[in-house]
Amino acid sequence: MPLRVLPPVLLLAIFTSQIVLVRTVALTPWKGGGFGMFSTLDHGAYRRVSVIVEAPDRSERVEIAPSIEEEEARAVACPSDRLLRRLAVAVAERERRHERPVSSVAITVWRVEFERGSLAPEERALRTFVYDARR
Amino acid sequence: MGDWYVRPAVLGLAVLSLVSPGILRKPHTWLALAVLTAWRIAADWPLADNHIYLLGYWCLAAAIGLRKGEPPMSLKTSGRYLIGLAFACAVAWKLILSPDFIDGRFFRVTLLTDPRLVGAAQLVGGLTDAEIEANRQALEPLPEGAQRLEPLPIVESARLRGFAMAATWGVLLLEAAVAALMLLPNRPLIEAARHVSLLTFCFTTYAFAPVAGFGWLLLVMGAVQVRSSQRWLRNTYIGAFVVVLFYSEIPWSGMVLDLFRTA
Repeated sequence: MPLRVLPPVLLLAIFTSQIVLVRTVALTPWKGGGFGMFSTLDHGAYRRVSVIVEAPDRSERVEIAPSIEEEEARAVACPSDRLLRRLAVAVAERERRHERPVSSVAITVWRVEFERGSLAPEERALRTFVYDARR
Repeated sequence: MGDWYVRPAVLGLAVLSLVSPGILRKPHTWLALAVLTAWRIAADWPLADNHIYLLGYWCLAAAIGLRKGEPPMSLKTSGRYLIGLAFACAVAWKLILSPDFIDGRFFRVTLLTDPRLVGAAQLVGGLTDAEIEANRQALEPLPEGAQRLEPLPIVESARLRGFAMAATWGVLLLEAAVAALMLLPNRPLIEAARHVSLLTFCFTTYAFAPVAGFGWLLLVMGAVQVRSSQRWLRNTYIGAFVVVLFYSEIPWSGMVLDLFRTA
């Protein structure tokens, strides 16, 4: 195989793997090198996370701090176990730095879907991940 | 250009290539740029935009072409296939893989909510500022799956809906044309049609799409296809490069809208 076919072959291999990631771990089609940008409303502007921190005598929804917004953006774009865990660990560490108790962090990634025709919006849960912070 | 540890290396290689044509033509320079681009994609995963991947393939193609000692012909072929395949992937997503493009939902919602497109939506669709704001609220979902008892109405003029459908099919057909023409074998008529389709895509798409870097990369890959005798065509590519810069720096649709309002 001549070496010059390597770039197009790489492009097709990454396109194929991107489709697999979209279908298996809900990677947004806009990312991952599959050229799916501007093809769907399933992207960062219509996804978000909610975070609930639990501890004895505590169950509280927390906002994402600016210092961990990048971890949030990664988890929103690709809610895989690895990226959700990284976000959960960052949340738990921040809680501890502020001397707030934390035993678990539950992260849910939400996506907005628009009804065909009427465009009525509805938020649906894409994935929920619970991190045991006592370990 | 990536994080702090990638940026200086990329900028350093770019500056060295500008001052020394010898470095510019070394395959190792382009291989290093391809590796740095791949590193940037891995470090940013999954946030890198698609044109960063295309940039990586292009740098790799340049490294391979320079290694063979036939850079112009090799780059022409690689550029053609890379543009063709990238557009074919984009068409596959829009036509087959996405559930909300062909039925027009993507452009209907995006025209009403994306601040970069609202000016165009108002120009074409004739919506007022108040209607745009009301639509934004109507398209904002209640949290966690809750539903309104009475859904808020969405104001869409017939012209705006027509514009959304025209954009849907126009983008799809233009991208399919670029993909097909780039992947078809070389013939004089096909070569001419390639340039027309790619330049049309860049002149129209980047007036709205806020990814000038993608446009510039496509224009560079298109310009490589130009024969040395086609000076006017080369100058058109240079002009298109400047036009994409204009689109990215000037909020032209808002300015035209203001002009209409004051007239």
